[in-house]
Amino acid sequence: MVEDRAEPTRLGRGFWTATGVLAVLAVVSIVFWYEFPLESYLPAAIVTARQVDTLFRFMAATGSALWIFVAGYILYFSIAFGAKATDPPDAIGVQVHDSYKLEFWWTIIPSLFVVLLSIVSVRIWYEVMLEPQTGLVVQAIGHQFYFSFRYPEINGEVTNEMHLPVGVPVTLNLTSSDVIHGFWVPAMRLKNDTVPGLVTSIRFTPRLTGRYPIICTQFCGVLHSEMNKQILVIEPKPAFDKWYRLWQQKNAHVSNALPASGGQAIALQGGNIATGKQLFGQKCSACHKLAPFDQKLVGPGLLGVLHDPSHPNLVDGKAATPQDVAGILQSGFTGSMGTMPNAAANNLTPQDITDLVAFLNSLK
Amino acid sequence: MTAAAVHAGGLADHIHPEPQGFVRRYVFSLDHKIIGIQYLITGFVFFMLSGLLAEAIRTQLLNPNGGFVAPQTYNEVYTIHGSAMVWLVVIPLLTGGFGNLVFPVQIGARDVAFPWLNMLSFWIFPVAGLMLFSSFLMGAPTAGWMEYPPISLQGAAGTSMWCAAIFLVGVSSTITGINFVVTILKMRAPGMTFTRMPLFVWGQFATAPLLMIATTALAAALAALFIEREFGVPFYDPTKGGSPVMWQHMFWFYSHPAVYIMILPGFGIISEVLPTFARKPIFGYKLIAFSSMAIALMGFMVWAHHMFTSGLAPFLQLPFMILTFAIGVPTGIKIFSWTATLWGGKIHYTTAMLFATGFVALFTIGGITGIFLAAIPFDLHVHGTYFIVAHLHYVLVGGSLMAIFAGMYYWFPKMSGRLMDERLGHLHFWLFFIGFNGTFIPMHWLGMLGMPREVATYDPQFTFWNRFETFSSYLMAISILIFFVNVIWSIRNGKRAGANPWGGRTLEWMVPSPPHYYNFKHIPTVYGLPYDFSQPLPYQGLDEELTDSPPPVAAGAH
Repeated sequence: MVEDRAEPTRLGRGFWTATGVLAVLAVVSIVFWYEFPLESYLPAAIVTARQVDTLFRFMAATGSALWIFVAGYILYFSIAFGAKATDPPDAIGVQVHDSYKLEFWWTIIPSLFVVLLSIVSVRIWYEVMLEPQTGLVVQAIGHQFYFSFRYPEINGEVTNEMHLPVGVPVTLNLTSSDVIHGFWVPAMRLKNDTVPGLVTSIRFTPRLTGRYPIICTQFCGVLHSEMNKQILVIEPKPAFDKWYRLWQQKNAHVSNALPASGGQAIALQGGNIATGKQLFGQKCSACHKLAPFDQKLVGPGLLGVLHDPSHPNLVDGKAATPQDVAGILQSGFTGSMGTMPNAAANNLTPQDITDLVAFLNSLK
Repeated sequence: MTAAAVHAGGLADHIHPEPQGFVRRYVFSLDHKIIGIQYLITGFVFFMLSGLLAEAIRTQLLNPNGGFVAPQTYNEVYTIHGSAMVWLVVIPLLTGGFGNLVFPVQIGARDVAFPWLNMLSFWIFPVAGLMLFSSFLMGAPTAGWMEYPPISLQGAAGTSMWCAAIFLVGVSSTITGINFVVTILKMRAPGMTFTRMPLFVWGQFATAPLLMIATTALAAALAALFIEREFGVPFYDPTKGGSPVMWQHMFWFYSHPAVYIMILPGFGIISEVLPTFARKPIFGYKLIAFSSMAIALMGFMVWAHHMFTSGLAPFLQLPFMILTFAIGVPTGIKIFSWTATLWGGKIHYTTAMLFATGFVALFTIGGITGIFLAAIPFDLHVHGTYFIVAHLHYVLVGGSLMAIFAGMYYWFPKMSGRLMDERLGHLHFWLFFIGFNGTFIPMHWLGMLGMPREVATYDPQFTFWNRFETFSSYLMAISILIFFVNVIWSIRNGKRAGANPWGGRTLEWMVPSPPHYYNFKHIPTVYGLPYDFSQPLPYQGLDEELTDSPPPVAAGAH
């Protein structure tokens, strides 16, 4: 709708000149974001880091092009349509109320862009999430104010550096012994919180050797700022194997017991099978049958969970060990099979867990 | 008694005599305009205090090893800075402050629907504010304004005080929300249909339900945290069967809508300032109004985008990502409409207009980085880093605070009868604009390169940009000092404004500055939108003596 009064509403030559200039600037900014050497500032340590960069480049390029148009038009209109000293004090602007055509397009085009961005993001999200599940399984546990790491065949915990071999897919299971921490390796473009009582996992494949800082991103106490000193070392397989053997020897006599909350350790041997069976009836049988895996109640059937080779792998793509089962009982479980509460919620003492592990271990 | 004449019109013209005595008029006042000014004064006092805390934060970060204050103190400082800026500054200034001050006049009402509730809601606010700041005396909370358990369960005694203070501010917000909804639904002047309401009223109308509904979730979460801390009932402690993630859900179910509580009234202010100083109708009135409502509704459906790293089931995250992208559409519509409003105008560069155009440019940056953060793979990289700090300050400072300044310069004459000094105003704007960008632009790349948020010390490789930010932030502080000097000086010495110094066309400019008690001698009848500068004013039945004021610009133009 255009009012009768005042100037015509044609877009003048100035408008099209400004549009041309802004279009050039927008193209320059798009080229800039696609040419910018992100990796020389922050190496891409894992395979999907580059996909995240691709997503960033796409959003930064389109976003800055959009901003250049908005800010550029504001600047141009401000200069071109400023009231002049010669204007009468009651001068008014062009009385345009709206333009259905324009409003239609600036609703439709952003909507289509939302669809496009969703497709791009979901695809990259899928790649980040779909990293292979086989390979090395490591557990990272957040503490005030450091992370500790558990490897399948190393007793106890590794607490200074985290080592990973290049090219081998990794599943990193995260949990916390006290408060929420954030496990972030900037060079991986990936993080996840370590939440007490939950086990979450991220999967990735290291692609570039190097030493990368591990940084906590959730406020976790007075020394949170200092929780950035640990290093992720990505190294070639032989070097990793050497490091791995060294720690196996070093920790050979360390107890593999899991520290429970409150400082008590959980023994994995010497549980009472009969007590465990009784406990299973009280605490577990509401959700788990003593039947093959596929007979699910809330959780899967647990007959032969530790021995039946055809039993699907509960944990990280590997046959479960007593340690894994104790870990699930202690910390709870979140994953494709659902959610299980932790020991506190189930009111299990460390001795209960020992007994339950002994009982489950006895089911062939 | 200045406005006691009784006219036909029944209830709306039933006027009580103006209260006498300082206490009844200015302290325990029932007048929405006085309450609005009380909110503004209190809010700006808290703004000054939490601004000082912000400068303490930046001073600490001059050096990678900190050293200005101890880490524990630093954690207290940024926690109170964030909490106070959100709950004691931006929300009260935009809703209780400008909302109370302006929108009842704009809809042609004599007051809000529940003046006593309005007074209650105001008086809770300074009490809660003092409680929040008093937590410093007993060991302030340290876990940031989000106070995630379990760390907030370990916090000092002040953390419980924090819970109580924020709970009370929430009560105040909820009351204000109810009051505003009822006022807008029931007390519009004859002829003031929904499609004739000024856009600032639309902004408040979209905000008020958020205040009413979302705040209750926060209240429940805070009550649970308080009970757990003080009486040991486990809601959040995982070792006792609680769920720390539940807090995050409830907190963000409030705090995401709260982002819109902090920006929708700002959108309203901008939508008033731009047409007035461009001497043009706002472009696309209906879409701007409609998109406010769309944003408010969609704002309830995106909270988990703050929790992509919290261990949610992966497929649960996708709808939150896509819905968050989708909020960009109504937001974009507004930005495009404001830009188009400038085209073909006769633009007057008052300070209010500078802040309004600055708002559009800077808020757009915050909006675009918000889209970045909604994309899960990128969020998994920058969540919890300085990138987030940059984003939220572009929205809350480049957005909300710029809108607050625009509103102050725009409505100050209506409150005080005097204009603010324009030269000081321009100086304020430019120093603020430069200082703000210098402070927050580098945070984007600092976050991407590896600087986490809420840290008292940092990796020395980031020293240069942190110093750059700190010095820029001092520039901002100077600009705000100039603003306060301007306000205080202008109250007594500013040029007399008259009823309508800007040539505005909404109803508040049709009454004297400051307006009479009960606003109108006669409730006007409304015949159209306020933004048609080529048309006669769409009001009838106004019978004000607008002495010492020039006639409204557009009326003369016709």
